[in-house]
Amino acid sequence: MTDDTTNTDGEPQTDGGSGPDGSEADQTVRSDGGTGIVAPDDETPTWRERKERTEGLSRLTYEYFERARSEDESLRRESDYVERDVLAFPTWPHETVRNLALTSFFVGMIIFLSATLPPHIGAPANPNSTPAIILPDWYLYWSFGLLKLGPLNPELAILGGQKLMADRTYGVLANGVIVGAITVVPFINKGSARRPVEQPFWAAVGMFGVTLAFTLSMLSVKNLMPMNVHLLFDLTFLAPPVVGAITYAVLKTMREGYMYDLNRRYYRLRPPK
Amino acid sequence: MSLEKKDEYDHKNWLESKDLTPVEATFLTALIWVDKRLRIVDYLELLESLYYRSNLQMPKSHTEQYDLDNKFWYWYALYTLGFFSTLAYVVAAISGALLGFYYVPAVGSAGPGEASIAYSQIAFIMQDLQFGFMLRSIHRWSAQVMTAAVFLHMLRVYFTGAYKEPRELNWLLGIVLISLTMVFGYSGYLLPWDQLAFWAGQIGVEMSLSIPLIGEWVAQLLFGGFSLSQATLQRMYILHVFLLPFVVTTLIAIHIGIVWVQGIAEPH
Repeated sequence: MTDDTTNTDGEPQTDGGSGPDGSEADQTVRSDGGTGIVAPDDETPTWRERKERTEGLSRLTYEYFERARSEDESLRRESDYVERDVLAFPTWPHETVRNLALTSFFVGMIIFLSATLPPHIGAPANPNSTPAIILPDWYLYWSFGLLKLGPLNPELAILGGQKLMADRTYGVLANGVIVGAITVVPFINKGSARRPVEQPFWAAVGMFGVTLAFTLSMLSVKNLMPMNVHLLFDLTFLAPPVVGAITYAVLKTMREGYMYDLNRRYYRLRPPK
Repeated sequence: MSLEKKDEYDHKNWLESKDLTPVEATFLTALIWVDKRLRIVDYLELLESLYYRSNLQMPKSHTEQYDLDNKFWYWYALYTLGFFSTLAYVVAAISGALLGFYYVPAVGSAGPGEASIAYSQIAFIMQDLQFGFMLRSIHRWSAQVMTAAVFLHMLRVYFTGAYKEPRELNWLLGIVLISLTMVFGYSGYLLPWDQLAFWAGQIGVEMSLSIPLIGEWVAQLLFGGFSLSQATLQRMYILHVFLLPFVVTTLIAIHIGIVWVQGIAEPH
């Protein structure tokens, strides 16, 4: 069957209709359990039907609307917009009940946390006494860690060993570099691969980033870490590549098994000739 | 012969020909009057259609279609993180609005180390206000949870490759949102005007000052000067309760709207 390959390689048949090969494509669609999308049906009643189901003032309303609508109706009939009605999980009650359950669970979790670990308030602001430990909230630790990259700030021989920019400017710019790197990801990583096993390199880059965020956070609290500061600084930049490399190796190894399984599944659905 | 145009939409004649009771006639006249001006037929039809499609059915997902559930089930819990952060945002908004009834963003005449008005209002909320301690706790924790959920949401999107081709714009929007979330947290962190708030603000001022070229301008815009004062507190307050809520709520709506339009990207 030639349309086995045409159906899976490119052309998704979103309307469940026939492919380029006509009736044979329908056969293909059915063999994998359908595209999940069926032709529009007439579940949504027309104005006339709604009118006929009611009486009294609402019937009158529909009668008027039917008149008022006739122009728009003809426009709509001319348009080529296709409404798609498809079969799946109903919104009510299944989806709604599930969402309500999730919502109450999450809100309950927040309330439980607030009841068990309430925040306290420190001494009032005093510009004359700097506290021993100044820390932002935990989610800014990575950014705070970037401010402590002074030793990495390059010194230029031309400037007589002077630094091109102040250490803190360097740290602030590093924030921009990180945000910029995250921003360009979708423009560099193209293609249809999605799962980490399919793209070990990008998963490794991700693990590198996560680890870097973590180690930078550790660096930002270096006065609290029971550890040699220089060792901590070195680990901050050594750990991420190591974790990235391990991720890459593990995923490369896993990939073979995964692809074997996926291929088996795939060929079971569309047996080769 | 009148000059008035007579067309098939001559509702008045139609009304007369219907032989209606006074109630019906009044109702219909009012309906036509309003509809001529506001065209409520559009909205009513929309509502009706929504009603009839309350069992609106979504397309089969990729995993459903190819029966891959048993393969990828472990990702699915992570797909709720976006919803979770939105929910935490809503909880934070509600508790924040309630806190806003009592908080005052003023330093007052407090000297160094003395309780400012803002600080004593927080103390009032925590000590005297009925349920106030819990309220502040809920606000703080929902903010923490939101930030955590947003971070994890970003990781999920990264590792499932959900930022790919048609969805780059939403990834960019997400970066803006995560940054604004952190600004939200930072500006809220300064409001109690305790020691940590003050010195976190100090670091903020110094960070803005060290931006090349526009540093001083940024410091003045965000912090109202090069040292912390009433102006800083006021600006952080307006950021936290006025600017950011509008901007972030709008962006969240757009973010979710795009997800709705584009559908959820699943690993395949």
